[in-house]
Amino acid sequence: MLKILRLEYLYTRRQILIVLTIFSAYFAYMAGRIESPRVFIVMTSLMVGLAMPFTILAREDKFKTAVLVCSLPLRRSTVVLGKYVSTWAAIVVGLGYALLLTSVLPFSKVRVAEILTVKTLLISIFLISLIFAVILPFTIRFGLVGVIVLLVGFQLLGILALVLAQVLGGARNPMRVFFSAVEGGLRTLLSHEATPGFLLALLAVVIALNALSFVVARALYARRDL
Amino acid sequence: MDNAIEINGLRKEYKGFRLDNVTFDVPRGYIMGLIGPNGAGKTTVIKLIMNLIRRKSGEVRVFGLDNIRHEAEIKSRIGFVYDVPRFPEDLRLGVIAAGVAAFYDRWDEGRFKGLLEEFRLSPRQVFKKLSHGMKMKFSLAVALAHDADLIIMDEPTAGLDPLFRFELLTKLRSLIQDERKTVLFSSHITSDLERVADFVTFIHKGRIVFSAGKDEILDTWGVVRAAGDGLRPEDVPAARGFRRTEHSLEVLTSDLAAARRSQLSGAIFDSASLEDIMFFISKGNAHA
Repeated sequence: MLKILRLEYLYTRRQILIVLTIFSAYFAYMAGRIESPRVFIVMTSLMVGLAMPFTILAREDKFKTAVLVCSLPLRRSTVVLGKYVSTWAAIVVGLGYALLLTSVLPFSKVRVAEILTVKTLLISIFLISLIFAVILPFTIRFGLVGVIVLLVGFQLLGILALVLAQVLGGARNPMRVFFSAVEGGLRTLLSHEATPGFLLALLAVVIALNALSFVVARALYARRDL
Repeated sequence: MDNAIEINGLRKEYKGFRLDNVTFDVPRGYIMGLIGPNGAGKTTVIKLIMNLIRRKSGEVRVFGLDNIRHEAEIKSRIGFVYDVPRFPEDLRLGVIAAGVAAFYDRWDEGRFKGLLEEFRLSPRQVFKKLSHGMKMKFSLAVALAHDADLIIMDEPTAGLDPLFRFELLTKLRSLIQDERKTVLFSSHITSDLERVADFVTFIHKGRIVFSAGKDEILDTWGVVRAAGDGLRPEDVPAARGFRRTEHSLEVLTSDLAAARRSQLSGAIFDSASLEDIMFFISKGNAHA
């Protein structure tokens, strides 16, 4: 496992640095504009959760190095596990960097102490996991083209849902109920009291999401012809 | 004979292509050439050995072990060179090798640097700035630096100029003579294989036509030529293909000695080169 992590690091370190440099400007802007630590962590998680896996996997797709990696003395399941661990490592670096910037920028409206709570960190990890759990198996199996198709598909679904919500009208139409449920769920997640039971449940969901995603990705990758 | 690779009843299907019941062995300590025209299934066979694609059925054993169940163990003893090297192109050779080296217990950094020097490469060079020939040499250096017992090469000489090809083939020959490595080497350039291979497996349209010692093939296969209409393909024993021109007929036989004994009037008997065999079977009229 450490060998594959080292390989991923050696082969993508320059790109991760470039992404972090671009994020510097973005995080600075966010820290200066947003006052709510929750909104800050949600936006940051979304950005990091999307950008880091793409950065790592886009290179594999571009240079078709999957053939190289799968020719090394490794099982395919180890290759997939390596991708999950290295992407999470990159995400932790990205989030850590966001917190570091927030703490050193004089114009930051967000205080690090507000973010550095078990609840906020778990919520950010949960949100990243949500994105990551869907996207990573697709990227591993179909490459970036597959993910672009997936994202475009989601966007089209979103547009269709919005149009339907307008067309159907009324407060109780299924689309509006769905959107309200999502909004309510997110609000509950953010405002729920940080009881040990809630935190443990959130942690269990994060672990289950990642485990399920990994199992799916492993099964898909085993079927991939290189 | 002790075999490095044993392939039995291997099948794989793609849209428009089928690898059908491929069976052959690669003896340990020799160079096996896998020949066939483009699209014959050479790369598919190599990818199946490396478990890069899923087989429909059949079995691949490398060093006596199943290539899927013992994947990591087997691959630690294989050095691979693909037709198009798949390395991150914007990295320096030293960085690429450092990433790969950690996976091999027998990686010898001194040997790797020696090979780079021998191939006139520097670890500071960026991969994408190398010519195709230099990329293949780097690939070969990586494949040889961990003291692999089996070297698998897919079309390593395709697109190389004659000088590079000669260097590469000389290196392969010296590997076998000095270190008793096994090499499986696919190519559609038959002259390369005639120069270095000990055994030859010919694959055509996803099927094995023959797999035997090169000398045995060159001794037993032949071309029978006759002017005019006096000779028919079915008159030639063990005819495997023929080519008719305006004034003559050429028939490929897998039993040249029998053809000579059959006293065909006006016929000329020649040994067949690997190129002749590939041409008659893939381009000539097939004859069972």
